[in-house]
Amino acid sequence: MAQVIGQIQQSNFIPKKWQIINLVALLIFIVFPFVAGTFQTSLMAKLLLFGVLGVSLDLVWGFTGILSFAHGVFFTLGGYAMAYYLKLNLSATANNYGGSIPDFMVWNGLKELPWFIAPLQSFPVAIVAMVAIPAGFAYAIGSFIFRSKVSGVYITVITLAIASALTTFFVSQQAYTGGTNGITDVSKLILFGMVVPPIGIYFIILAFATLTLAGSWWLTKSNFGLILRSIKENEQRISYLGYDVASFKIFIWTLSAAIAGICGGLFVPLNNFISPVYLGVTFGTQIVIWVAVGGRGTLFGPVIAAILLGQLQNSVDRITQDWQLIVGIILMVVVLFLPDGLMSLLPKKLLASSPNNLEKN
Amino acid sequence: MINSEVSILSVKDLKVVFSGFKALKGVNLEVGNNEIVTIIGPNGAGKSTLLDAIVGKSPVASGHIYYQGQDITNKSSHDIARMGIGRKFQNPNVYNELSVFDNILLALKGSHGVFSSIKAKLTAAKKDKIISVLDRIGLLEQGYAKVASLSHGQKQWVEIGMVLAQDPAVVLLDEPTAGMTADETYATGEIIKTIATSHSVVVIEHDMEFVKQIAQRLVVLHQGEKLTEGSVSEVQSNPKVIEVYLGREQIDAA
Repeated sequence: MAQVIGQIQQSNFIPKKWQIINLVALLIFIVFPFVAGTFQTSLMAKLLLFGVLGVSLDLVWGFTGILSFAHGVFFTLGGYAMAYYLKLNLSATANNYGGSIPDFMVWNGLKELPWFIAPLQSFPVAIVAMVAIPAGFAYAIGSFIFRSKVSGVYITVITLAIASALTTFFVSQQAYTGGTNGITDVSKLILFGMVVPPIGIYFIILAFATLTLAGSWWLTKSNFGLILRSIKENEQRISYLGYDVASFKIFIWTLSAAIAGICGGLFVPLNNFISPVYLGVTFGTQIVIWVAVGGRGTLFGPVIAAILLGQLQNSVDRITQDWQLIVGIILMVVVLFLPDGLMSLLPKKLLASSPNNLEKN
Repeated sequence: MINSEVSILSVKDLKVVFSGFKALKGVNLEVGNNEIVTIIGPNGAGKSTLLDAIVGKSPVASGHIYYQGQDITNKSSHDIARMGIGRKFQNPNVYNELSVFDNILLALKGSHGVFSSIKAKLTAAKKDKIISVLDRIGLLEQGYAKVASLSHGQKQWVEIGMVLAQDPAVVLLDEPTAGMTADETYATGEIIKTIATSHSVVVIEHDMEFVKQIAQRLVVLHQGEKLTEGSVSEVQSNPKVIEVYLGREQIDAA
């Protein structure tokens, strides 16, 4: 009987050719900063980071079916944690006002550092906050929306509301958040007593991207990933098999927010500022576009899309200001002609690794 | 009670109301250990609603459902499933985008928590269990195929396979043979009889041939109430049943 089916592959099996392609891609990314200039290195680091942000959304949207416009929020929360740290560690001479508190606080009449921001002077606290604040926030709203009977498009509407509400909140709390400008002119990232150069940040981001992609691949190929995909297809059915759907959704939602938060944290030393722009629906939509163009449920697709669209924007920017129009047209073309995104252009065999593939002998 | 002293599933005076419409108006049902209870009744009698209420899909307005003496009324679906009640739906409720194998794997009895599912390995024991289920439902050759590519009858089998893998103490089957050929229907009946050697089974069915093949005790629902219950011949000779089914071929032929 068993011979009929033959070998059942391990669920986290990675096809050989795909492994090789990934290794080659990783090598290219390792060599890239030594070939390209500083500008391209920093741009590529940023696009990689945006790609990973897309991966975090892909986990909840592509695999679990929860469309979120709030991933910019998680990204920005992580970003602010890092930005406070870098701002508070400006040396007194580098600080225009020479004071012990950041310039925007001085302008807004604060005399001393607020107690809830003060701990972020410490690097370990900032690192923990970069993950824990977005994850904790996601856990709180996730527990609320997934335990209630809210589903489908209503969840998406709630994420839109969260993005708008937080933007307004951050803009209004100028003394604490720097208002519309956000936190600017932050110090360079210093690790082990050395200023980390752009190429160093590039490699930190590359390592983070590699780990996240590998980890997400492993997770989505596990039994857990199978459950996510069945929640996406029919969440009621799986509850009759004894699975508590809400706890699975809350877990992946929180994990996804944690990844987005780290992306935000790494974005600040690269970008030198963070502002409420990244909280908003526009940036949230941008993340959705990377996932849609790259291919939902593909993990690699959003990274490819973020890099291609980012490079395209960089080239088109020199010719016209209307690059968003071009992105819009690309999105329409993809939705109409490539509903499964750029990754669907790859030969199916390459990725044929659905868990528990039963191959005949 | 027929087969057992204590019933494993016990429904007491169950009422289910959908925005004013009384779908169930106080139904009682006892299911014994390793017993097959077959529910028949015209469309709209409340048969599926009864199963929906048992698995926590439809909210219960009043009355109680007891499983092994425990009150499970209005508990969450996943808790009820974990306690040991499995359900097959009227239309095959299977995962079309997944392989037959994955569908069975998802249904396998075991710990269904978040972290245990991340750590879960496809052990030899699990593999053997899945293969034996696939063999049982005759889909061993199609194990690797996407469910979407199967016929309607085969999808019904996949869902029966899921129930087998789930291995619940009480199996609820809603029209398990809908869309099957006569041969497939007969084979399904034999599987249900085997299941009933170690499980309690509640079956909703229309096909009287099939009912006669499997039935031990028949319950007739009509307009949200229990009309009567008893053996196949008792039910068929009941004047109230004949009235409800008047002109219906199934009972006439029976």
